[in-house]
Amino acid sequence: MKRIRVHVHNLLQPSTICRRFHLEARIEIGKMYASQFDGAAAFSGGGFMPSQATQTADPSPSVFSKNRDTQTLVPLTVKQISKALLSNDDKVNFLIDGVDVNNVKLVGMIFNKAERVTDISFVLDDGTGRIDCNRWYQSFIVVHEPVDTKEMEAMVDGMYVRVHGQLKGFQGKKQLVVFGIKPLTDFDEITHHFVECIYVHSYNTKLTKLQPSSSNQAHMPSSAVSTQSYQTAPSNQFTGQYVADGLRGIDKMVLDYLQLPGSLARESGVHQEELVKQLGIPLDKILVALNGLVDEGLVYSSIDDCHFKSTGNA
Amino acid sequence: MDTSNPAVLVNADLLRSYVGRRVRTVIQVIRPDAGGLIGRSTDEKQIVVKGHPPSPLTTFIEVIGVADTTQSICAEIMTNFGDTFDTNNFNQLCQLANGDFRHLFI
Repeated sequence: MKRIRVHVHNLLQPSTICRRFHLEARIEIGKMYASQFDGAAAFSGGGFMPSQATQTADPSPSVFSKNRDTQTLVPLTVKQISKALLSNDDKVNFLIDGVDVNNVKLVGMIFNKAERVTDISFVLDDGTGRIDCNRWYQSFIVVHEPVDTKEMEAMVDGMYVRVHGQLKGFQGKKQLVVFGIKPLTDFDEITHHFVECIYVHSYNTKLTKLQPSSSNQAHMPSSAVSTQSYQTAPSNQFTGQYVADGLRGIDKMVLDYLQLPGSLARESGVHQEELVKQLGIPLDKILVALNGLVDEGLVYSSIDDCHFKSTGNA
Repeated sequence: MDTSNPAVLVNADLLRSYVGRRVRTVIQVIRPDAGGLIGRSTDEKQIVVKGHPPSPLTTFIEVIGVADTTQSICAEIMTNFGDTFDTNNFNQLCQLANGDFRHLFI
């Protein structure tokens, strides 16, 4: 992994154009870290606990207020989004590489732009896939906000754009609710965006190797944190938030897969190779996750040492 | 959401392994040709592009299309990428996107 990280850093050559993008990326990634720290300081305990959030009568406001402090802007490819899993505790947010993903940044080409009364819809194709996007007008009751219309008027089919938006699931399909869109003027940004996706993915998955989950659990103020939780209270360690989410990420993904109705229904259980293929995670990490889950009594080996089943109900 | 028809990021070397598949690459235009143009890939090899280039043409263009031989692409879309482009970065991105990080792209 270290070798790859250095390699990725070498990509960001000190040409002036790339330096500018590198700076922007650092600011965005810096915001990611900063929001983790702020969360750590302000919300140790409190409304951060998912059990509290789900116990309130109307969970949505508390989920949003909790999320606002951990929302980060994640650069992604459409392929990564297509593989995102729904996080179990609130069924609203998506999980990619074990990190909650809400606000995303994409770079791609516009197709099928359609202007409607309340919104403008288009398809964004970034070369790895196509995703439906929606840009709601700020006010459609009276007159369209001039800023909105100007911004979208300039967008034409076949044009490269940078899009910021929120990932939403609708009837099983993932869509993007766009709140920022800008045409690309410098096409090195395409290269930079993909390199950034690689870097963030590499960073998030690397953290899963760094620390075992048990040491982070010890820092949790509430004992109600189960393996179901993702918005776990941050520990005292700087990388605590990322690590807790990260490691729980792979364990959680394996557990989720084993708790799917299809997996539960199978007498023989799920073969570990199937987990490798379906989740796209290397075998050694899957085995580590499975061992951890077996130790915690959540998973057992069924017909032989390579097949596993979940113990509990989903 | 549709990830059924991705365009693989390639340079001339990688193009050889994706004949018949949808690919995308950035090339520097050398000269126009009958039925398209000839360009230099980011790893300094020649690629023939068949199709209708945009006009006016800038120094660098992105070609998205189907690779019909190990050295040519039948273009669906060609986009002007301007007169400055970092080919070294793009070249290394192609190697990463087809190597360790394939699962993020294809």
